[in-house]
Amino acid sequence: MKRRQVLIGWLFVLPFVLVVFFFLVLPLIYAGYLSSQADSLVGGQHFVGITNYIDTFKDPLFLEGLKRVAIYALISIPIMLSVSLASALTIDVIQTRLARVFRLIAFMPYAVPGVVAALMWGFLYSQQFGPIYWFAKKLGFRNLDMFDPNIFIYSISGIAFWAWTGYNMIVLYSALQGISREIYEAAIVDGASQKQIAFRIKIPAIRGAIVLTILFSLIGSMQLFTEPRILSRYTNAVTLGYTPNIYAFNLAFNQSQFNYSAAVSFALGLIVLVISYGFLLRNRRMADK
Amino acid sequence: MQKTLISGSFKKATVIFTTAAVASVVGFIGASAPAHAAAPVHVKVWAWYPNIKEVVAKYNATHTDIQIDWTNAGAGGDEYTKLKTCIKAKSGCPDVAMIEFQTLPTFSILNPFVDMGKYGASNADGRYAGWAWAQATSGTKVNAIPVDGGPMAMLYRKDLFAANNIKVPTTWAEYADAAAQIHKLNANQYIATYGNDPGWATGLMWQGGCLPYKYNGSTAKATVGISLNTASCKNVINYWGNLVSQGLVDSKPFFSTDAGADFDTGKYWTWVAAGWTPGYLSGVLKTTTGKWAVAPTPQWTAGADAQGDWGGSTFTVINQTKHPKEATSVAMNLYPPQKTIDAGSPWDIGLNSAFLYPLVTSVESNPAFVSHTYPVFADQKPNSIYIHVSKVLGAFQWTPFQDFIYSTLHDETAQAIAKKEAWSAVLDNVQTKVVAYATKQGFKVTP
Repeated sequence: MKRRQVLIGWLFVLPFVLVVFFFLVLPLIYAGYLSSQADSLVGGQHFVGITNYIDTFKDPLFLEGLKRVAIYALISIPIMLSVSLASALTIDVIQTRLARVFRLIAFMPYAVPGVVAALMWGFLYSQQFGPIYWFAKKLGFRNLDMFDPNIFIYSISGIAFWAWTGYNMIVLYSALQGISREIYEAAIVDGASQKQIAFRIKIPAIRGAIVLTILFSLIGSMQLFTEPRILSRYTNAVTLGYTPNIYAFNLAFNQSQFNYSAAVSFALGLIVLVISYGFLLRNRRMADK
Repeated sequence: MQKTLISGSFKKATVIFTTAAVASVVGFIGASAPAHAAAPVHVKVWAWYPNIKEVVAKYNATHTDIQIDWTNAGAGGDEYTKLKTCIKAKSGCPDVAMIEFQTLPTFSILNPFVDMGKYGASNADGRYAGWAWAQATSGTKVNAIPVDGGPMAMLYRKDLFAANNIKVPTTWAEYADAAAQIHKLNANQYIATYGNDPGWATGLMWQGGCLPYKYNGSTAKATVGISLNTASCKNVINYWGNLVSQGLVDSKPFFSTDAGADFDTGKYWTWVAAGWTPGYLSGVLKTTTGKWAVAPTPQWTAGADAQGDWGGSTFTVINQTKHPKEATSVAMNLYPPQKTIDAGSPWDIGLNSAFLYPLVTSVESNPAFVSHTYPVFADQKPNSIYIHVSKVLGAFQWTPFQDFIYSTLHDETAQAIAKKEAWSAVLDNVQTKVVAYATKQGFKVTP
């Protein structure tokens, strides 16, 4: 009987297991194998162990891209999540039809595919057609160029802000709905203000959800690819190793360096794993205190 | 029920039509035709030429033995990504693939090409422009069939030069003078933008006598010549760098939405560009159509006749094909030699809708092409200028890692534009990085 149940259980998860195996585990194993080989344009493929990884961590292009996405994450995540959290707390308090409409509108950018969004922002940032330059010019900033290599990373932050703030807001708002209303009532009876309720009750209560949004944003930032790739036509900023993912893409598909590209991808994955795990561990320790 | 009736009668009509077509073909080329007509060979083609859909439709309507299944697998790099993947996977490639000239050695080193010489491709009759044929072949092997090119000339705002009494430059020294005069007239106007397109920069370097690459895939596959920091190459880049540093030439990338609009607003007065650029301009110009004209590319030495090319493409046959003969025939005849350019014919579409510059000589020298006018250039007949360029263009070679060179050149130039690097260091740095890369890839690098 027990055995039968186990079998049926496996049968239920089989479709998922198959998809994960064939489209995630198998490619990962193959990429792992590729990353341990060297293959030059002239001469064949041979085993080199971890040489590709040593090269990766010494590669200035990889490190430069890594540094760029790290700065990008440090700048964009705090701003984005602060706004998400503030919005979530606000619509949680208001609870009117207006709040529902706002929730829907704020979530809408998430429904726009990344490529389409990037193209759209190409126009919004344009000096000829875009409202941003038009405003800047009215304010006296005649030389603002959102595609200038020195500020392009902030332009991408803007796109990410637009795309993900609403999404994160919904995640946090949903978590807020899980808090029992009775706690608020008790707090109000005890004389707590809305501000105190927000900071003393709500935020600590949804700590898990906040950690989740930080983690997902961090992983997403480290893997930055679509926006710079699509907008590379508009700017001089996007170089060969602009972000680690762009570097891996260029290595594989423009330079046919599949092995080195696999190593770069794995190295990035490793770094993201270490950062994520470190972040979670630290957070758990803090929560335990 | 009614639906079935309609499709039934439609089928009947198709059968009648096909029978008539077969009958006329039999009458025309004799008894062997029915076997072909019975089961046409399907040839898969990847290409991104503008309006190619109509050219394919035309081909399929006029051929019974071969039918083309065409896919737009993306332009340039997007297609190459897919093509490299299917070559690596040893399956899934099309029979015929469009590849640009500068990318041919990048692919040929992966050995994906059918030698079309074995299936009737040759240039013995001067069917294709000589400079292009030289790039399409490797030793005796015919890797590619030239289709279109990009001989360079200078597009300029005829009205602005005339109204402001500035001489249309014929040398690069005059061009620099004009750049200063234009920017002095209006601080928001420039003679041009340095679009940081490596293919374009290479065309300008070519015109300046810079021939930086040596590669022969058939005799010495593992030896490559790289000399990007010679005097003639540096001369060209330093010239433009000087103009950009002084603020006399803008630095907006080509083909961006803004640069396109700027050609229409008078912000840019000239563009030394390719034979296919009028097609691009026709798409982006709204108010200045008819105010542009074409002049030969300014010369480094007054009175000289040095020229360059920017871009152009070929058809190749990938050796995964089961029908090399038919695929070769498609590569050669999708854009065929034509004595007359009738309305609706492949080159009528290629020239008048897609604005291709033809490398098929019978089309290049065709009176209909020579005397063609474009709304962008009002009543000027600019093609004689491009035809001359195509005629005098010399040999030029590419490397098997042109993409790496282009992206390095792009990135180093971007550094120079952002004032993080001296313009004079650009080609030195590219040379160093490219030599290091080539050596790592197992090549013996020679100057």
